[in-house]
Amino acid sequence: MRYFSKLAVLAATAAMLPFSAMADTADGDALNAMEWDEIVELARGGEVNWFMWGGSDTINQYVSEYIGGILEEEYDITLNRVGVTDTASVVNIVLGEREAGNMDNGTVDMIWINGENFRTMMQGDLVYCGYPDVLPNNALINWDNPAIANDFGVPVNGCEVPWNTAQFAFAYNTALYDAPPTTIPALLEWIEANPGQFTYPAPPDFNGSVFVRHVFYHAAGGVENLLGEFDQERYDAAAEATWQILNDIEPYLWREGQTYPASIAALQQLYANQEVGIVFNYEPANVGVNIENGTFPPTTQGYAMADGTIGNTNYTLIPFNSPNKAAALVLQNVLLSVQAQLEKLQPEVWGTQPGIDISRLDDATRAMFEAVERHPNVVPAQDLADTALPELQASWISAIEQGWIDNVGSN
Amino acid sequence: MSDRVKIFLLLLPAMSVIVLLFFGGLAIGLMRSFNYMPVIGLTEPNFDAYFSIFTDEEFYLSFLLSFHISFTSTVLSCILAVGAALLLRRAFIGRAIINFLFQLNLTVPHLVGAIGILYLFSQSGVFARLAAEADLIQRPADFPALVFDPFAIGIILQYVWKEVPFIGVIVLANMQALGDNYESVARSLGASKWQSFRHVLLPLIFPGLLSASVIVFAFTFGAYEIPALLGQNYPAALPVLAYRKYTDVDLAARPEAMALAIVIALLSVIMLFFYIRYSRKRVRS
Repeated sequence: MRYFSKLAVLAATAAMLPFSAMADTADGDALNAMEWDEIVELARGGEVNWFMWGGSDTINQYVSEYIGGILEEEYDITLNRVGVTDTASVVNIVLGEREAGNMDNGTVDMIWINGENFRTMMQGDLVYCGYPDVLPNNALINWDNPAIANDFGVPVNGCEVPWNTAQFAFAYNTALYDAPPTTIPALLEWIEANPGQFTYPAPPDFNGSVFVRHVFYHAAGGVENLLGEFDQERYDAAAEATWQILNDIEPYLWREGQTYPASIAALQQLYANQEVGIVFNYEPANVGVNIENGTFPPTTQGYAMADGTIGNTNYTLIPFNSPNKAAALVLQNVLLSVQAQLEKLQPEVWGTQPGIDISRLDDATRAMFEAVERHPNVVPAQDLADTALPELQASWISAIEQGWIDNVGSN
Repeated sequence: MSDRVKIFLLLLPAMSVIVLLFFGGLAIGLMRSFNYMPVIGLTEPNFDAYFSIFTDEEFYLSFLLSFHISFTSTVLSCILAVGAALLLRRAFIGRAIINFLFQLNLTVPHLVGAIGILYLFSQSGVFARLAAEADLIQRPADFPALVFDPFAIGIILQYVWKEVPFIGVIVLANMQALGDNYESVARSLGASKWQSFRHVLLPLIFPGLLSASVIVFAFTFGAYEIPALLGQNYPAALPVLAYRKYTDVDLAARPEAMALAIVIALLSVIMLFFYIRYSRKRVRS
């Protein structure tokens, strides 16, 4: 009897060996050499920890329920969505793991990321690269588009894949104001004419930082002068004028500019309470979502700036030490699928623009994307597309954020 | 096995956790604060991070703010807590209920309290709306700034709310253990109410009060979440400043964050040293 039980233990161990070997999908180089079907088989039964900004209920629901549901049903993969307020904190987790010598068993399998943090990840050599060709849905991505192939000016080089495109847009309350200011100079005049009715979140808040960049573009006489590598001379010239403008409007801001909201959520709260009259967001569809859930007055109308607004692509990235790379690849492929991108475009789900190139789809599918109606109060996509401005390289952005804290925030 | 060895062995598990985790973390933090971080290519230790902190005006403003927050909230909490304990030790109708209510918010997390303060005291909060409704002010936004304000009123309010029962419970337990015999003796020898409190009861409860207030002071000085939620964005409390540097997109700012954390720890130790010395002296005199 004892002999048998020993044998049973041995057999069980032997049976588990190939299984545990299969479950370990930390080796990215091996995955890059595989066929897609093999990767899907490896991923089956596993789990994936996706760290992402968790500040929007509708986005959270889309990810947990819709995407999580597909992974569960079709691939038997468990999706753990980990909400964070600041993506930089996730970068710190991965960095700490690398320092501790954890090279293939990290906690983070995937990150929703933008250019600033992408640059940091690349700087610390924390990224898994070279896989996009493996994903079947990579065929839907237009890598020839410079706005896709570069994340805030940093070449993507197969180290992340696009998820959405977004563009900054403003919104105002039609019940209170007839016409909103549609250029930066007009906005500055509007602020002086309506004391206390405007403010912006303090950088390094993501949205506040974008607003400051808009003023920076204006002060520099256009974005053309700022593209390319960071240049101290060009920065200094534009920065001085920018701080001048922002300090000049300070007495006319909410709370006379003595303090600024700490986050975009705080600004939205101020707008919802009618403490300020204009609100903005890098995600234009946000206006529709906030009207539908009762946060914003239904008379809120999103609008584009005649002199343009900043747009970019956001991405998903797999850290170098993710132990579930196969499952993360499956997740990325699902996110890029026509089905998931179409669902995401629905105004009540999220309304964000696709990261894939819909001109690569067949006519019937493309028509489905084109037929999705935006929320009537969200600025029409065409208005925005006509005047999209590029993002600066990440080194400019850090300099502008620090400059704002030193020259405007500290006064 | 002798008792000494036994005690040593029994303490070993607790001590190894403290020594390993605390001093281990401290050592790594120190190394990074000296600009030693091989993973991002910093291999030559130096004092740059400390220089850049001490030459930054925001650091000094942040220190003053943090000191103001922890000092003011500790002093207010102590005064209110001793007052409450003096009342609660007497017998009165409903004492059990009042006592329970007094200690109730010990169980409420700081964060939840902070959200409560936001809902009640901010310019779009309940009190602002009630005041506007009652025509005391024209619109909610005219309500005085109690949150995100330069004097950190909201933050101090939150800490006082949370720490009064903490100190109060300790002081009350202290008083109940002492009984009122000492005071009765003092009163029978002709001391006034105030004199018997000042010269008899206060010195007796002082050690308990002091250790409770030291905990509160050190805690508030190093706490991040409340100033982050209720504070002005500039100057920010020291821990908020440290966290901002820690999450800077430029990895090169990490050593500064570590140096700032080390400085916060050192400052707390120095201030507590003087606080304890000074208050002991005051009570003895």
